[in-house]
Amino acid sequence: MIRLCLSALLLTTALPAHADVAEAVKKHALPGYARFAEKTAALAALDTCETEPLQAAWNEAFDAWLGVAHLRLGPVEEDGRVLAIAFWPDPKGLGQKQQRALLEAADTAALTPDRMAEQSVAARGFFALERLLWPTEPPQGDYACALTHATAKDLARMAAEIDGEWKKGFAETLINPRPDGRYLNRSETRQALFTALVTGIEFNADSRVGRPLGTLDRPRPERAEARLSGRSLRDITLSLEALRGLAHQLHDPLPQTDAAFDRALKQAEKVDLARLDDSGMWLKAQILQQNIKAIAETAVIELAPALGSSVGFNSADGD
Amino acid sequence: MQRRAFLATLAAAAATPRLSWADAGSPAYLAAARLPDGSYALHGLTVAGESLFGLPMPARGHAATAHPERPLAVAFARRPGTFALVIDCARGIETARLTPPEGRQFNGHGTFSADGAVLYTSEVIAEGSEGRIGLWDSDTWQRIGEMPTHGIGPHDIRRLPMSDDLLVANGGIRTDPTDRTKLNTDTMRPNLARIAPDGTLVAKAELPEGLRQNSTRHLALLPDGRAACAMQWEGDSAETPPLLALWQAGALAACPVPETEAVTMQNYAGSIAHSPETGEIALTSPRGGAVQVFAADGSFRASFRRADACGIAAGPGGFVVTDGNGAVLALTGSGLRPLASHTLNWDNHLIALERT
Repeated sequence: MIRLCLSALLLTTALPAHADVAEAVKKHALPGYARFAEKTAALAALDTCETEPLQAAWNEAFDAWLGVAHLRLGPVEEDGRVLAIAFWPDPKGLGQKQQRALLEAADTAALTPDRMAEQSVAARGFFALERLLWPTEPPQGDYACALTHATAKDLARMAAEIDGEWKKGFAETLINPRPDGRYLNRSETRQALFTALVTGIEFNADSRVGRPLGTLDRPRPERAEARLSGRSLRDITLSLEALRGLAHQLHDPLPQTDAAFDRALKQAEKVDLARLDDSGMWLKAQILQQNIKAIAETAVIELAPALGSSVGFNSADGD
Repeated sequence: MQRRAFLATLAAAAATPRLSWADAGSPAYLAAARLPDGSYALHGLTVAGESLFGLPMPARGHAATAHPERPLAVAFARRPGTFALVIDCARGIETARLTPPEGRQFNGHGTFSADGAVLYTSEVIAEGSEGRIGLWDSDTWQRIGEMPTHGIGPHDIRRLPMSDDLLVANGGIRTDPTDRTKLNTDTMRPNLARIAPDGTLVAKAELPEGLRQNSTRHLALLPDGRAACAMQWEGDSAETPPLLALWQAGALAACPVPETEAVTMQNYAGSIAHSPETGEIALTSPRGGAVQVFAADGSFRASFRRADACGIAAGPGGFVVTDGNGAVLALTGSGLRPLASHTLNWDNHLIALERT
C-alpha cells in the first residue's frame, strides 16, 4: 500500500502544471488584457504626426489585441466595445464612409474623448487607425493627425476600462462561479472559455482566411483583414498562437491539438493572402483554412471530455 | 393493461365530466430536454422552475402547444419530426401519439383551433419542403385533412386571437428530405402567411429584398392583434440584419437594434415571447448567449447575457428563460435571476400553458 501511495505521489508530481479556468484567467486573460492596455496606452501617448512611429506602435497594440481578441465574454461585450475596437469584417465599407465624413467635416469639437466615445463603432478602433496610418487617399492634413490621436486615445481608454473590469470583477466571476452569479457553477465557466476557444479558432478559418478566400473562380484578396497594413497573415498566426496558449491553460497536455496547431502554423508560412488571384496560392490558403478547421475539431475531441464541457446544446442546434 | 381493466377505465372516463385546466393542478410550462444518459424527455414545470413530471420522449423534442380548455398539450418532435405526443398535463402521461402521413414531416410546432376541436400541425412535404398544415381531430386524434402554408419550410404556427385564422412562419428554407441540410439559402424567400381555416390565403407578408435571407421562424402573438417574429439570418455572416420583425395588418416591419448590439445575437434568434405583464417582447440567442428585450413597438431596450439561453415564455414580472445547461431563470427589469437548476439540457422552447 505504501509503495502504491508513493508511486501515486510520483505520478502526481510528474503531471504537468494544473490547468483549468483559474489558470486561463490568471495566465492568459489577465496578462493579455494588461498587455493590450499597456500597448494601446503607448500608442495613445505618441504626440507625433510622423507615420512611422505611429505605425510601429499601432502594430504592437494590434499584436497585443490578438492575444485576447477571441475572449468575447465579459467587459468586452459591454457598450459594443468589441466592435469599437475592431470593426471587421465590414462588407459595406461603413468604417471608410464614416471616417471620410469625419475628415470632410474636420470638426475639432468632435475629437474630445466624450464625443469620440459616441462616434459610430465603425469609425473607431484599430481599423479606423489603420486607414489613417496607411492612407489610400492622400493628402492627410492636420485634422487627420488630430483624428489619429483622438482615435488612439479612445482605443486606449476602452482597453484600460476592459483591463480594469477584468481585474476588478470579471476574473473573480469566472474563477469563483456562484449560484446567483452570471455563471452558476464551474462547468459553466469551463464551457464559456471552451466556447471562446472553439469560436476563436473558427473565426480564423471562416473569416480571416475564408473571407479573402472566396471561391477559386472569384478570390477576394481585398477582403483580407488588415490588408492596408499588410499584416493579414500575421493576425492569423498570432491569433492561433494565443488560442493555443488558452487551450493549454484550460487543459494540459494536448498532444493532438498541438499537432493540429503545428500543421496550421506551418501551412500559414506558405500563404500570402494578398496573392489569392494566383490559383496555386489560393489552394495553399484553402489548405490553411482546412488545417485551422481541423484544430477546432481536434480541440473539441480532446478538450471537451477532459473539461466535461461542450459547446452549447442549443447553440449547436440551429432551429 | 388487461382488457377488462382497460374497458373499465374507458367507462369511467366516459362517465366522468371532462377535467378543465382549473382542475388539473397542472404545470405552468412545458419544456423538452436531453437527459444526462442521452435520452429525451418532456417536463412540466411550475412557475418557480420545479419539475412536476418528466415524460420520456422517443427522440429529441422541440415545441408544444396547449389545448384551450382541456388540460392536455401536444409535444412535437424536432424536425424532421416523425411523432407528436398528446399529454395529459394533470397526470403527466402520454395519452396518444400522432404520426405524420407518408411523405410528410412534422416541423416542431402546432396549435389548436379556438374551440379546441382541431389540432393544426406545421409540416413539410419531405421532398421539396413545401409547407402543409396537418389537421387532426382532438377527440380521436385521427388526421382529418391538410392545407397549404403558402410557403417553403414552415416552422412556427399560431392561431390569431379572436379568430380561427392561422399565422404561419414560412421560413423559406428547403432542406434535404433525410436531414436538416439547407438547399436554397441563395434563393430563399420566407414569408408570414395568414391563412383562413379553409386553407385560403388571407394575407402574405414578406420582408424587403435585402432581407430575403432572413428566415422567419418563431412567432409571439401580441394582445392587440399584432405578432412578433424572430428570425435567423442565412446570408453573409458579416452583415447583421434585424432579427425581430413586427407583423401588423398583413405586413412585416423589421426592428433594428443599436449598432453596439449588432453582433450580440450572432445573427440567430432561437425563441421569442411576449410578456403581457410588461408589454415587452424578448428574443433569445443561444449562439450569442444573450436575451434581447424590446418594447411593444419594437424599439430596443436591453440585452442580458446567459450562455446557451433559448427557451423563453412570459413569467411573473417579465419572462422565464431556460438554457442548455439546465437552468430556469426569471428575467425581469433587474436582470436574470436563477430560479432552479436541473441536471439536463433544456431544449429550444419553453411553452407557457396559457389556459382559459
